[in-house]
Amino acid sequence: MSLRDFSLRRYRKRILPLGILVLLTVVTGKACGASWDGLLSGLVKGYSFLGHLFPPDWKAFPEMIGPAVESIVIALLATLFGTLLSLCFAMAAAANISYRWLRSLSRAIIAIERSLPEIIIILILVAVFGLGPVPGVLALTLGCIGMLGKLFADAIEEIDPITIESIAAVGANKGQIIVFGVLPQIMPRVITYAMFRFEINIRLSVLLGAVGAGGIGYELDSAFNMLQYHRAFTALIVTLLLVFLTERLSGHLRKKVKAEGALK
Amino acid sequence: MKKTPPILLPSVRYKRKATVFLLVSLAVTGVCIYLGFNPVLLFTEFHFVWDLVGEMLPPDFSILWTNQTILSSIGQTLSMAFLGTLAGGTLAICCAFLASSNTMPLKGVRIFVRALLALERVIPTLVTILLCVIAVGLGPFAGVLTLTITTIGTFGKLFTEAIDNAEYAPAEAIFSVGATRWQVAHFSILPQVLPSFIANFLYAFDINLRVAIGLGIFGGGGIGFQLYMAMKVFHYRDAMALLCFSTTLILLTEKVSDYLRKKIL
Repeated sequence: MSLRDFSLRRYRKRILPLGILVLLTVVTGKACGASWDGLLSGLVKGYSFLGHLFPPDWKAFPEMIGPAVESIVIALLATLFGTLLSLCFAMAAAANISYRWLRSLSRAIIAIERSLPEIIIILILVAVFGLGPVPGVLALTLGCIGMLGKLFADAIEEIDPITIESIAAVGANKGQIIVFGVLPQIMPRVITYAMFRFEINIRLSVLLGAVGAGGIGYELDSAFNMLQYHRAFTALIVTLLLVFLTERLSGHLRKKVKAEGALK
Repeated sequence: MKKTPPILLPSVRYKRKATVFLLVSLAVTGVCIYLGFNPVLLFTEFHFVWDLVGEMLPPDFSILWTNQTILSSIGQTLSMAFLGTLAGGTLAICCAFLASSNTMPLKGVRIFVRALLALERVIPTLVTILLCVIAVGLGPFAGVLTLTITTIGTFGKLFTEAIDNAEYAPAEAIFSVGATRWQVAHFSILPQVLPSFIANFLYAFDINLRVAIGLGIFGGGGIGFQLYMAMKVFHYRDAMALLCFSTTLILLTEKVSDYLRKKIL
């Protein structure tokens, strides 16, 4: 062990990033009004609040079934429409089957959509279509484009070009190439990604419900706002069950699809 | 044993496909009727969308310098995302070290931490923000706490897997020359996983920025709240400008974090 071990030079590489990190933390902490006192008192308050939640209001349980089904249905419809829409965008965005100008246009749309959070999309759609499941379905459908469109486009770009070439060689047009050459190859991935998106959509439909899409998210939010905490706890349990079960189901199905290649 | 599916005649295959297609379309129609969702209405009533777009254009970018709160709320959103990522990511790393079999010898602790992480992943963001708002009041701090909790859930699992997949041979080597468990974690596991952790931090910042904008609506403050207010009081041109700001913000951070990630990995 020499003196150099403790010299500044040895640690210089770490001091600079750490210093910046500490500085940023302090500044952002000020901007957010974050403080340890606030956190401690918040923890105490939150803990005592959890006591207000118990016990759940089991009588409200049957009333929660309808909204829960609505949330599932919103997520399902949005996943279906969103997958179809994303497929169109992905076809346009894939380098191997699309034109150049169409490709950059579609990629740009996908990138812009990805930078729009679903909750902002629904804010705008609520202004157009009013409250209800319609803007919810539409917002989630549009929300699929950003993620699924990119994943599908990448999947299409990775397919075996020989198949497309041989189909084109015997005189297939663009539509036939897509139906018989592209779609069968990407189908397993499409199903896997769509199921993954369904999981996300369930969570999002809970969140969007509070902004005006209805469903279990609305029940939860309104129960909280009206200080009916026992009812809110029931809604919370239903929500947790919903998310947990869909996660399990989609995980199971994804594994199955992966094992079999595709659901026949 | 895996059975290869029998090759079907084309006629049977098409019949099957037709049945599936019919069932799906029937189900979709039924569901649409159940929700009162009429896709045709989307096309006949489309002029409402044009009306709104007409009211939104041109975006009123001057609010950036006429309204002092806009800049500070952009800063707030960025700070929320940063703090949430830092606190959540750090706690996620701690949880990951406690949850991985490579670093935690006690099985009980591992199972407990894993269950905690799984529970956190199931709780939707809406519930977390509602609880946090009750605990610390309205404002960006509630948003920071929410982001921290969600980040622990998602990235705790990722980090656990990263540590699980780290090579154990170097750890064994320095363990055999008398290193303590702490030293093993510090000198053999951490160097292996640190690059991927940092890359994931950048990724988490991307996600958290999006969520932070959304959380503003539920009382988290920041640009999301400004946008919500602008939509509520029908200041559509301001809302459009805010929309452009948030989109640019997200696109920029995505580009920057992509660049940094490439540099690190």
